[in-house]
Amino acid sequence: MTAGDLVLRAEHVCVEYAGPRPTRAVRDVTVELRRGEVLGIAGESGCGKSTLAYALTRMLRSPAELTGGSITYFPDGGTPVDLMTLDSESLRGYRWNKVSMVFQSAMNALNPVTSLGRQFDDIFEAHRPDMGRAARHHRARELLEMVGIDPARIRGFAHELSGGMRQRVMIAMALALQPEVVIMDEPTTALDVVVQREILDEIERLREELGFSVIFITHDLSLLLEISDRLAVMYAGEIIEYAPSERVGSAPAHPYTLGLLRSFPDLRGARRELRGVPGTPPDLRDDFGGCPFGPRCSYAFGPCHSVPPVLRPVQARRRGAEADRWTAACHLHDPRRRPDGPPAELGGAAPGTATPDDAIGAETAGGER
Amino acid sequence: MSVLEVRDLTVEYRQRGGARLRAVDGLSFTLQEGQTLALVGESGSGKSTVVRALGQLVKLTAGEILLDGRPAARHGPALRAYRHRVQMIFQDPFASLNPMHTVAHHLRRPLQLRQRHLHGAALDAATADLLRSVNLTPPHEIAAKHPHELSGGQRQRVAIARALATDPDVLLADEPVSMLDVSIRLEILNLLDRLKKDRNLALLYVTHDLATARHFSSEIVVMYRGEIVERGPSDEVILHPSHPYTQILSGAAPDPTASRAALAAARAMRQSARAARAAEQREADLGTGCRFRIRCPFATDICRRHPEDMGVSPGHQARCWLYATANGSGAVLPLARPDE
Repeated sequence: MTAGDLVLRAEHVCVEYAGPRPTRAVRDVTVELRRGEVLGIAGESGCGKSTLAYALTRMLRSPAELTGGSITYFPDGGTPVDLMTLDSESLRGYRWNKVSMVFQSAMNALNPVTSLGRQFDDIFEAHRPDMGRAARHHRARELLEMVGIDPARIRGFAHELSGGMRQRVMIAMALALQPEVVIMDEPTTALDVVVQREILDEIERLREELGFSVIFITHDLSLLLEISDRLAVMYAGEIIEYAPSERVGSAPAHPYTLGLLRSFPDLRGARRELRGVPGTPPDLRDDFGGCPFGPRCSYAFGPCHSVPPVLRPVQARRRGAEADRWTAACHLHDPRRRPDGPPAELGGAAPGTATPDDAIGAETAGGER
Repeated sequence: MSVLEVRDLTVEYRQRGGARLRAVDGLSFTLQEGQTLALVGESGSGKSTVVRALGQLVKLTAGEILLDGRPAARHGPALRAYRHRVQMIFQDPFASLNPMHTVAHHLRRPLQLRQRHLHGAALDAATADLLRSVNLTPPHEIAAKHPHELSGGQRQRVAIARALATDPDVLLADEPVSMLDVSIRLEILNLLDRLKKDRNLALLYVTHDLATARHFSSEIVVMYRGEIVERGPSDEVILHPSHPYTQILSGAAPDPTASRAALAAARAMRQSARAARAAEQREADLGTGCRFRIRCPFATDICRRHPEDMGVSPGHQARCWLYATANGSGAVLPLARPDE
């Protein structure tokens, strides 16, 4: 897979919720999704991750408004499409055909009063008007079978299904038109661990079969580290770290990522002190004078309270193919402001020893994608 | 010292048409002073019914609850006294607080239930003390707020403060953090842990998250379809899960430290196991045998008979025939068994 093989790129996206003082929910976010990749977006409630997902499909509804930036879709072998300029008719050709979505609460996203078959019909009637009734029925049964649900359920209703089965139906619907990108907004949050694992396995299997790309949104960082290729950590509407998932778990560069990683206990490892991330996120209606995470950050120093940091390549993580693809918005990684580099746990060199980065590089060599 | 003891707890719900659903079947366990017992299981395993039965919000079909060794009262003023001593924290802090009332109102009422003479400045001081004990500061500002002005974590703290208002000996926490963000969960669990130590509370922590169960409890009880299938010291249960169900639960938890190759191998194994079982699952009718056998990778003919609790190691038991030959010292690990 070549580095230039993009399928979706969002640049400098800003979203505001209108009000006397607008809530700036997404602030100058740039992300890229490559073909066949799983991009994880992590962050706590209210950090703007779902708003970003809705922006990427241009599904924002008032009072939310896309106030800036561009979103470009790169069809396989075709010319790039600027989604910001599409009218509602061409948008319909893009939504669900090219980019579909699995919503957070399958309970609310499925219609309780019509059968599953009827809801599949809705998709095909809107997007494939030339499909006959028999063909629609056949395809819907095929889709259900594909996600491991008895096709006879096509006559069934949402309340007859368990939470996991409903989520499978949602995935089948998202895949109905063979999209290139599927955005999954907390698809497993309401499920218990065993069912969650089944759904994740199912997504992985379908991805191998059909080759779509996934943007996976959740607050469960431990889950994302496992399933995603690249990870964007959001805080207060901004991406504060953007890194290859496989390594960020053991070598985060941003203090907030480190805090998130320390906020869940390890199932089998040694017991350790758990700290979480004390404090609460800032009000998104405010302008941040400095780093939005500054007030909660135990590493904060001078410039953190006056200069907003921007995403910059993390020097300590520059190696091999990932050289410029690991960025963090933190003054600790800015050599001009912090000549002696970040503390050891965030990638700084501990005197007289190998950097943590080297140790990790050695462990995962060959596992890199 | 044991505070609350449950013997053969059984709860049945009446279904439409008169059939009965046995949600909890013959459960026995003990809550100790200053200790946390974690009750773990998937959705629908009967965890919440256990909590509701202990809070006496549902009637027991059989079995008994002992508080300080004496049978718990079932009605009247004695039941009220029981509830003062056994308090609950619910899963959803958005639903468990009344949106019409201030935080102060939520705390004053239980305070006055226990201490009727409490009024005016003394009542305000007691309210502020409660809020401080759950790290909600400044207390007078928080007390005047309505639930909608608080974050999920703050609301759950208010719910905990309310539970503490009657000065209980036992706290029943039903998935207290599953509705909260990962970054906030830990603060709430650390808070519960500290309160448990400070006030010498007996804590029942109900959850489906094995990692926090291990971290915050001394003993773990695993439930499946209304019965306890495994119990033991928490490290023992998590590091050496013995019942096939516990093994599946523990295998399903995300493991951020595993390598990509290991993850892919584990996934392939799960998928083939699932395909092999799918056919049997359709024709299986539960009958009287082991309830887990239709999902169990190790099920054999003997599983048609209901297993007893078998010792795995000291203090660690699993309700599974695989351990029938174990004599307490050398347990037969099911994963080592040859496939049939």
